[in-house]
Amino acid sequence: MGSSNHTTIAILGAGRGGRALLDLLHQIPSIQIVGIADRDPDAPGLQRARELRIPDTTNVPDLIGTQGISLIMDVTGDPAMEAYLHAHKSPSTDILSGSASRMLWELVQHESKLATELLQAEKLAGIGSFASGIAHDINNPLQLILGLAENLAEERDLAAVHEQAQDIIEAVKRTSAICRDLTRYSRRASPHEDVLVSVNGKLDEALRIARYASSFHAIEMIKQYQPGAAIKGNPDELLHAFVNLITNAVHAMELVGGTLTLETRVLHGQVDIRISDTGCGIAPEKIHEIFEPFFTTKAPGKGTGLGLYNVKAIVNKMHGTIAVDSTIDKGTTFILTFPNAEQSGEGSLS
Amino acid sequence: MSEFKSGFFVGGEACEGRVLVVDDEPDIRKVVKMTLKKAGYDVLEAENGEQAIETINSGENRLMLDVMICDIRMPKVNGAEAIAYFRSNYPHVPLIVLTGFPDTDMATSFLRQGVVDYLVKPVEGEKLRSAVARAMEQRELARL
Repeated sequence: MGSSNHTTIAILGAGRGGRALLDLLHQIPSIQIVGIADRDPDAPGLQRARELRIPDTTNVPDLIGTQGISLIMDVTGDPAMEAYLHAHKSPSTDILSGSASRMLWELVQHESKLATELLQAEKLAGIGSFASGIAHDINNPLQLILGLAENLAEERDLAAVHEQAQDIIEAVKRTSAICRDLTRYSRRASPHEDVLVSVNGKLDEALRIARYASSFHAIEMIKQYQPGAAIKGNPDELLHAFVNLITNAVHAMELVGGTLTLETRVLHGQVDIRISDTGCGIAPEKIHEIFEPFFTTKAPGKGTGLGLYNVKAIVNKMHGTIAVDSTIDKGTTFILTFPNAEQSGEGSLS
Repeated sequence: MSEFKSGFFVGGEACEGRVLVVDDEPDIRKVVKMTLKKAGYDVLEAENGEQAIETINSGENRLMLDVMICDIRMPKVNGAEAIAYFRSNYPHVPLIVLTGFPDTDMATSFLRQGVVDYLVKPVEGEKLRSAVARAMEQRELARL
């Protein structure tokens, strides 16, 4: 921040358009948002601004009077506002309003639709690698069920009949849980508004799904969960991000085995999630590329190169950050930090 | 039950031969054992390739083990590694693969290595017993 290359922007109007602009623009390092204004103090964009720690106000003249604004984006849709701005802005400030700002808003919406499509495409591409794990986890209980049923046809001992019938019921339950997990994972992320998500529960769910994609046989698991870690966001997308990170961690240890550590901490109003492996590590010259689209170290056909790119997009969308710490042959830790939902959720409304 | 050979008696019952079942799932070992015992086989269990190698190298099993049934996807020494080990060290012990994941390439490679049967779970008891019976015949031929 503070560099002269920054475009400093003020947003007027904090309805859906203003909020979408805020979500998009705050992710761009070269853009500094000096504030967002709306007459309605409960406008969704103002609430989002408080979560992002961007100044919000109900006083438009105050905001446009701020020094050094290079661009005012007017998404109020109010024709009177356009005239007011031209009369009161400083000479060095540009204005984007009317049909130009409407077109920008349409582009933002289009971009967000494409991002959702990309997320789904990458997820579905990954599900192909689940086949062997799913077959294993379905055919094993089926073998048990078949064997027991064949035996029951001849079994004379009533106690054994009861016990084996119970075993069959348990095996059927285990098998149907696989289908439940997978249908939940493969569905398109619901476009619903953000909800409160239990981070520990989501990590466990992701772990069950990641087991289909890769072999955990040589992997030791450590879980250090702090109870009550909760964030606000889209649960389906968060699950997708976790599955990606866990699968990567396990792949990094595929050849020699190692330890997978999942850790959550709630500290100073933030939730920290750490996913660590003791695998091959990422080369220092590659580390800045890992979140780029189409970056992959996997063999052709094995990865889309969109995994970490999408993970970062999901994390940013939930107002979180993602960092990575890696040493060759020692391992890699991904650190995700989100605002703790319990503190910044309902409290920010007032 | 220490001294016996194929076709002899164990614990008063006819013993058709000794089978080692290698699978990481206790449920599978249990049900395969149940299925084979009905046909009079003596069934040993191993959780993974490492245990299977220990079992076959311990005492009389070196001589007395007749047939092995082996899963592929297992922790520690996995099925493919175990199979390669057994084929080169115990070529006279017929091997049956029992896997949850049918894979044509793998099946071809195992059959080339001399695996006698490639069964995909879930397999009916009758089919499993006849595969073991065929393998037993091979074992007898190897003894001649």
